[in-house]
Amino acid sequence: MRLIRLLLLRSFRLRPARVLLSMFGITLGVAGMLSISVTNQSALDAVQRLLVNTSGSARLSIIPAVSGGESLPEQMVSAVSRVAGVQQAVPVLKVTTSLASQSAPEQVGLSFFGANAGGMIIHGVDAAAELRAREYRVTSGRFLSSSPEANEIVLVENFAEDNDLKVGQRIGILTPYGVERVLLVGLIAKEGAGLTNNGAFGVAPLRTVQRMFDRAGEVDQIDVLVEESYTSTAQLNLLARNVQQRLGTRASVVSPASQGRRTTEMLNNYQIGLNFLSGVALFVGAYLIYNAFAMTVVERTREFGMLRTVGMTKAQITAQMLLEALVLGLAGSFLGLALGILLSRGLSQLMSGLLNIDLVRMPIPVSAVLTSLVLGIGVTLLGAMLPARQAGNVSPIEALRIRGKSREGWLLVNGWKPGVVLLASSVAILLWNPFAYDPMFRLGSLTVFLLFLGVTLILPAGITPWERMMQPVVKLLYGSSGTLGSRNIERSRLRSTITVGALLVGVAMILVVRGMTESFVSDLRLWMEAYLGGDIYVNSAVPLRSTVGSQLRAIPGVAMAAPVRYLPVQWKTASSDVQETTLMAVDPVSYTQVTGFVFSEGQTNPAEAVQRLAQGDAVFLSSVLSEKYGLKPGDTIYMRTRSGWHPFSIAAVVVDFYNNGQMITGSWADMRRYFRVNDANTFLVRVQPGEDAAEVEKRIDRQLGKRYRLILELNDSLRKRAFSLLDQAFIMFDVLAVISIVVASLGVVNTLTMSVIERRREIGMLRAIGLTRNQVARMVLAEAGIMGLLGGVFGIVLGILLTRLFLFGMAAMSGYKLAFVMAPEGLIFSLVIALVVSQLAALLPALQAARTPILEAIQFE
Amino acid sequence: MKILEAQNLHKTYELGKVTVRALAGVNFSVSAGEFVAIMGPSGSGKSTLLHLLGGLDQPSGGVVILSGQQLSGLSDKQVTLMRRRNIGFVFQFFNLLPTLTAEENILLPVIIDGQDPRKYEGFLVRLLDLIGLTDRRHHRPDQLSGGEQQRVALARALINQPAILLADEPTGNLDSKTSKAMMELLRRSCTELGQTIVMVTHDPRAAAYADRVVFIKDGQINQEIQFSSEDDLPKRYRQIVEIMEHLELSE
Ligand SMILES: Nc1ncnc2c1ncn2[C@@H]1O[C@H](COP(=O)(O)OP(=O)(O)OP(=O)(O)O)[C@@H](O)[C@H]1O
Ligand SMILES: [Mg+2]
Repeated sequence: MRLIRLLLLRSFRLRPARVLLSMFGITLGVAGMLSISVTNQSALDAVQRLLVNTSGSARLSIIPAVSGGESLPEQMVSAVSRVAGVQQAVPVLKVTTSLASQSAPEQVGLSFFGANAGGMIIHGVDAAAELRAREYRVTSGRFLSSSPEANEIVLVENFAEDNDLKVGQRIGILTPYGVERVLLVGLIAKEGAGLTNNGAFGVAPLRTVQRMFDRAGEVDQIDVLVEESYTSTAQLNLLARNVQQRLGTRASVVSPASQGRRTTEMLNNYQIGLNFLSGVALFVGAYLIYNAFAMTVVERTREFGMLRTVGMTKAQITAQMLLEALVLGLAGSFLGLALGILLSRGLSQLMSGLLNIDLVRMPIPVSAVLTSLVLGIGVTLLGAMLPARQAGNVSPIEALRIRGKSREGWLLVNGWKPGVVLLASSVAILLWNPFAYDPMFRLGSLTVFLLFLGVTLILPAGITPWERMMQPVVKLLYGSSGTLGSRNIERSRLRSTITVGALLVGVAMILVVRGMTESFVSDLRLWMEAYLGGDIYVNSAVPLRSTVGSQLRAIPGVAMAAPVRYLPVQWKTASSDVQETTLMAVDPVSYTQVTGFVFSEGQTNPAEAVQRLAQGDAVFLSSVLSEKYGLKPGDTIYMRTRSGWHPFSIAAVVVDFYNNGQMITGSWADMRRYFRVNDANTFLVRVQPGEDAAEVEKRIDRQLGKRYRLILELNDSLRKRAFSLLDQAFIMFDVLAVISIVVASLGVVNTLTMSVIERRREIGMLRAIGLTRNQVARMVLAEAGIMGLLGGVFGIVLGILLTRLFLFGMAAMSGYKLAFVMAPEGLIFSLVIALVVSQLAALLPALQAARTPILEAIQFE
Repeated sequence: MKILEAQNLHKTYELGKVTVRALAGVNFSVSAGEFVAIMGPSGSGKSTLLHLLGGLDQPSGGVVILSGQQLSGLSDKQVTLMRRRNIGFVFQFFNLLPTLTAEENILLPVIIDGQDPRKYEGFLVRLLDLIGLTDRRHHRPDQLSGGEQQRVALARALINQPAILLADEPTGNLDSKTSKAMMELLRRSCTELGQTIVMVTHDPRAAAYADRVVFIKDGQINQEIQFSSEDDLPKRYRQIVEIMEHLELSE
């Protein structure tokens, strides 16, 4: 113990800067890891809670088999409750409306899930049953009375406050038939069911809502409370089947848990990317640790030799080094935890903006903390493993040598062989892509790390020729003393290699992120231009009858108004299971006059395709679905309509990112015929040439705004907001890539500091024979510069390779087939980043070198 | 003609409360083409003097004038350029750059100065011939023996024909045979190339190659011997040893 204290603490004290630097690499990695996992957790939690809150303690839900306008007959409630095993059937009638006093929002709500018109949601419920199914905490007044026809309502506290509503007041609710007045009897907290629609939510007696919205005898959903004895999934499935049998084909029995799957899936995809990148930062951190320890071994060769001479065993020395690593890993990881918790605060804010839901600050999940800790410490130990063994292998004779000379290890001489094997096999694995169904992309990430390792192993073999090649450039940039510096990277090839490796990974990551983003965004923008096409976006909290279309068209300055309706549907192919997705119904004629479709590459005649859609019994399939199910134009899919399964022929494949890319586009006429829906969510308006869109928007607002509670927004501004939301979502990736580079730059600082310390004598001598301080500094900068160039160029190559591999993998996994887009500025940018980072990192060591006192340096030893 | 002159040089080191007087008023000059050896007991201030003469350190008092230029008062950059162009150094430890070949090491001052090394090809060949390493010019320091490395260091110090060559114990790390070769080289540099040399040494055999020996004690010049060209090495050696013994006895 005393020995450990003596050796360990002393070595930390002697090299505090290096210890801190290498520790910081781990800290950043761990912080990234933790903050992302915490944020994700709370985002997922928020989404899930939303679902749980709305379904409450119901374990089964009954919804109409065909969605869109379809509802369930109220008699079904008693039919369901008679099924053995059902404790209670809880009816809900859902309406979207708005307070009469509430003015329409200025802007269309935008989030990850698409555009949203705001408004409020009212559930018509059976008060007694409802209280058993869902949680309500009354904060003032009372809950609904048991009278089914009472003309009363309960609102969420925050919502009432925002709208200046007090208990006891009669409030106006907008219905299709004018304003209805109901008594506000109580307020509930914004928790449990109160979280529905982000709090813009109220409950009223079932009869009352049916009457106000003219939906007598209808309900939208029946939640089923199951007998407590039904505990297993098998029992539940059996019960679901029984209920389904009793109800026939009109209704579907679903499990509430399955409903949020797509949302969570989408969030998951986003997280995989973030997780992967924070993993990369940690990976680069491992390089840093390796480097620091490898240096320590070289530096302390004499010390280790001496310790071996006086009787320390190999194992003791190795253990000693690993202990140092452990201490470092622990300290770095704990610091990372603290930083991660801080970071997660900011991240949560960003995320809640993206999702447009409030994220509750959750207690930091223990599992996430443990994972980050284990990873941080594990990576540190892994990085220190090889150097620790080397330290153990120092022979006592080496203590007698004047200076520890770094030996050309086996890795440096032969490392390229396993390197090439690793590189080739990991590329092959990524191409083969067996992880299509690994939801976390864990194995995939591992393969990418192996790829990095492979490239790093190959580097030493190339370093000398590269240095030769770059000599003229170095001379040009740094003057004659620069060549002295660039030569140094040959001297300690191990150190230089690792540093270049870290830089290379950082640069590659920046490039991958940029490449993926650009490839993704270029498609996404194209689609978004169409999705938010036209000049004015017209939306409303209440459904818009198609007559609104002709009224819009009648307004001077409006050239065309195209209705859009989103409808959840069930579909299948001849061979596949039933799937749920979203049908976007448009009127092909007006839609193409306002905006257009983004046809997938290699599409046949667009005009023909649109015509085919207009003819009916045809759909456009999104590229993701087409890819996923191997469907081509001309194939047939089936959708569950009011009259059962109906075939639709695929007229074209289009790019669509809505609903995670799983979309079917159909014609308005088909929707009316097969789903009996005839109202719109949105109108896209194009103004006549020469007209000012803002003027026309005002005109629409004056004439129709109030009546239909329209939310109008110029598409220019909407698009701008959408794109900025997009940028926000992607900026996380950039941030993480930058963290990798920062960690890599710490490696540069480390390596150069080391190099300067090691060459103190030489620098003193060079100063003595006439090297100016300036030249000394430039010499160090040149050493960094050549590493930056090397890391930059190889990083670019690797980055392009990886981006292509990722795009390829993404097409296989999610069906998004993206064209590879990489702006040349991006390439130059990454090279410049690598250079600038290397130079910044070299500043301090360069200064230190320039300040070397000549006499002390040459008298040294 | 005096090429190097030190007037009333003082150097004190403050070590906490203790003040070490390394040099206490040294007056010393070297003429062009002269070969001077500086001797004295350990700690007498020989290296300190040499460092001040070479502009590696600043005196606490007094001045150093090299080729008519006063060294103290110059900026670091000016002194550095002075060293680069007018002074050659040879140290006890060979101090070559391990990444460069022998030839590149020799040309280092030229490279540092941003000059075209090819212009020095002729002189380089002559120097390589002088130090006897013509066939090893492309070898790296770790492929050379200590004596060979020291010869390369000498050639490096000579490459730009400095006004003065300063050497601190150039044979300190060599055995007697290689020491002899080294000293012969220094002598030839002086005689054949007209190189002015100031050399610090402990070794009376080495000092015997000089034209003049200056003895330092307690930071001051204590004695001097000027040899005549007729004196042979053994005679010089005896003279030096005699004075050394005398100095040690008076301790
Ligand atoms: N940087 C320094 N700080 C403090 N004292 C110093 C320093 N450099 C030299 N000295 C002291 O100055 C005196 C002269 O030192 P110097 O190195 O010139 O002696 P020297 O004659 O070269 O000795 P040696 O023959 O052992 O090399 C010594 O007492 C030494 O301890
Ligand atoms: Mg000395």
